[in-house]
Amino acid sequence: MASMDAISRNLMLDSLKEYAKRRIPYDLIRELDEKNEFPAEILKEMYQHDVLGLHLLMVPAEYGGVSGGTFDIYRVCELLARIDLGIATGVFATFLGTDPLNVGGTEEQKEKWLKRIASENLLVAYGATEADAGSDLVNLRTRAEHVVKNGKIVGYNLTGNKQWISNGGVADLYTILAMAPGGPCWFLVERDMEGFSPNKHEDKHGIRLSNTAGLSLDNVYVPAENLIGMEEGKGLLQAQAVFGYTRVMVAAFGLGAGEEAIEQAIRYSQQRIQGGGPLSDKQGYTHKLIVPNYVRMEGARAYIEYTSQRLDSGEHGLQTEGAIAKYGASEWGNKAADDAIQALGGYGYTKDFPVEKIKRDIKITCIYEGTSEVLEMTIYRGRWQEHLKSRGRYYLDMADRLDRAHAEEPRAGCHAAALALRALAAVLEECRVQKLTRHQHVTFKLGKLICAAETAAIFSEAAAAKKYSETVRFDREGWQAMSRVFAREAALNTALEGLALVLGAVDTAGNLADAVNIEAIQTEQKGMIADMDLVAAKLKQTFKAK
Amino acid sequence: MHIAVMIKQVPDSTEVKINPETGTLIRAGVPSILNPYDHFALEAALELKKKHGFKLSVISMGPPQAKSVVQLALALGADEGVLLSDMAFAGSDTWATSYALAKGIKKIGKVDIIFCGMQAIDGDTAQTGPGVAQQLGIPQITFCEHVDVDGRRVLARKQIDGGHELLEARPPVLLTMIMGKDYAPKHPSFLAVNGSLKKPFHVWSAADIGAEAQYLGLKGSPTQVDKIYPPPQREKAAMFSGSGQEGVEKILSVLRGENFLGE
Repeated sequence: MASMDAISRNLMLDSLKEYAKRRIPYDLIRELDEKNEFPAEILKEMYQHDVLGLHLLMVPAEYGGVSGGTFDIYRVCELLARIDLGIATGVFATFLGTDPLNVGGTEEQKEKWLKRIASENLLVAYGATEADAGSDLVNLRTRAEHVVKNGKIVGYNLTGNKQWISNGGVADLYTILAMAPGGPCWFLVERDMEGFSPNKHEDKHGIRLSNTAGLSLDNVYVPAENLIGMEEGKGLLQAQAVFGYTRVMVAAFGLGAGEEAIEQAIRYSQQRIQGGGPLSDKQGYTHKLIVPNYVRMEGARAYIEYTSQRLDSGEHGLQTEGAIAKYGASEWGNKAADDAIQALGGYGYTKDFPVEKIKRDIKITCIYEGTSEVLEMTIYRGRWQEHLKSRGRYYLDMADRLDRAHAEEPRAGCHAAALALRALAAVLEECRVQKLTRHQHVTFKLGKLICAAETAAIFSEAAAAKKYSETVRFDREGWQAMSRVFAREAALNTALEGLALVLGAVDTAGNLADAVNIEAIQTEQKGMIADMDLVAAKLKQTFKAK
Repeated sequence: MHIAVMIKQVPDSTEVKINPETGTLIRAGVPSILNPYDHFALEAALELKKKHGFKLSVISMGPPQAKSVVQLALALGADEGVLLSDMAFAGSDTWATSYALAKGIKKIGKVDIIFCGMQAIDGDTAQTGPGVAQQLGIPQITFCEHVDVDGRRVLARKQIDGGHELLEARPPVLLTMIMGKDYAPKHPSFLAVNGSLKKPFHVWSAADIGAEAQYLGLKGSPTQVDKIYPPPQREKAAMFSGSGQEGVEKILSVLRGENFLGE
């Protein structure tokens, strides 16, 4: 679905912001976090059509929704994560649970179930994970056996156990992945079906406002018309078809929670006077704890928007892009939240300040919807194929594109990003020549390097563009300083870590040191401190002390 | 009856800073909002619409992005939206703005009650509402905290120093609203925002409303802003409450703590 116009989107975001301000103050969140309690009333109220109707974002207009596109959903997810990642997860579970229907449902199924989800404000849960089937769904144990009457399959009996299901204990409707004789498939299971029961609510490290529970299915009879798509064996494809898109949502969680933590630290740093002045004026503080984190979050944002816009324009899949978006946003967001605690010192370590909770919450973004390690592998696999198919040209072509952008706009870090991409191409090629991808460690590490270099490219291009996204809260000077800082860091890390990676696996790395062009990358570091000074000043200006 | 509400998009003043060197507002990254006073005016009008079934039009003047506040009003229940947008309006002071808005309201049609906020939080002049009443040659009641309609009588409760004044007017009349306790600004649901796209929305230029160029923009504005600067910051004051004796003790303890009284 294409996204809506910016005005409509921003009016919806304002309504959500106002609602949260009024109904979900931090004191309440803190209390629920301590009690490990799911705020059912708030979720239900947010779904009410005359209050917000939040779930309608996922439902096409013809079934009573508002037809949100990926960009819209990314923005709402980012804001929800800024409010509370547990509540965000509760909403996300409905989005995710609705996905198999949106992707694989027949017209009759959509007509019936999407309309019900929209009009009855159903909380939905997505039941895929099992004890032995997490990232790897091949070991799926939940069975769906045919129920035959008069020689015709009239239904299925579902038996098995699911675990770590968001909204597991509170949903009205569940989409359950089970192995039928014809292969894995999704079934629509209603809460009151006989033999179906949720287990206890988990006691988690973070996102404690999200209900997480296991599910027991003991010979649950499900009519044949509840088999999504009315065809067996399509389940894994239906799940994978939306990975690009669902991972953008979790990426938006990492972005929202991570930026929120750093913004709180920026506001705090202007009031905390130590050593004769505010912390916000001290490079030892800003250039370590604030600037690099914020810059990485803005890089993640640029990549999320790039992927969202491609999905909104009708491209399908984009699994590698979704993986890059989520891996970057969640890993950098986690680091940002960690540094936000450090930035608040003793205060940050107490529960009086939200950064402590954000740090516990955000960790989940590195785990659910594909762990960081699974994503490193996904990213590597996707781009390794591109590298081979293009005979090593994939990143060289992208670097040429960045050179052209640099010629048009030399202040956006495109040159540094091009250096990062060329260094990456050289490292990938050396790995191919020396057959180093036989080491799993090498492949995963390549995934990490690819994420940073590609994000640098996308961020620099966005910062070089004539018109900025509606989400950019800085002037041109400030945002370009950010993209330069990001690109320089990416270039340096790609070259140094890539070189170290190859040297760790072989006796000699040929002329890789020359190929990654370490000298040019070092020269490119010129101006880094001045740029970081500028970014620190812009951040202070934008996020003033309250 | 037909109600028109005049609304304005303003920068969220809690986020605005002034550049001390250039004397201009730093607008980068500052969100724009519906002027809070206008939000109350809109709520008062929506309540009358709900109660009496009146038609409700909203009108704003501003750059194309000011469409946002008009769409917000439509999502909240207004029937029709108008945005006066034209480079010819740029730089208008309150007088030129009143002239353009009055022309726009005339084009909307026969309007019985015009609502607006008492003032906008960016300029704080409180002149535009009265200016429109003057341009249209109709009566006005300012500082209203509550408005009702009984037949052809418009009943307004106006805030005055130390109390209220109850006033009655025959339409057409213009009312400026304060942010009182009787109305609570609302925000639309996602469905309502989506639905607002289907309501009539017009963008009118100076030519569309028959406004003459000499009365618009900088040329038509008797007032020019010379400079904007932040007021000097005051030192933080500590406030103590309690009896005289308690107060003295609190002050003494602070002075001792700061070592003002010596050992």
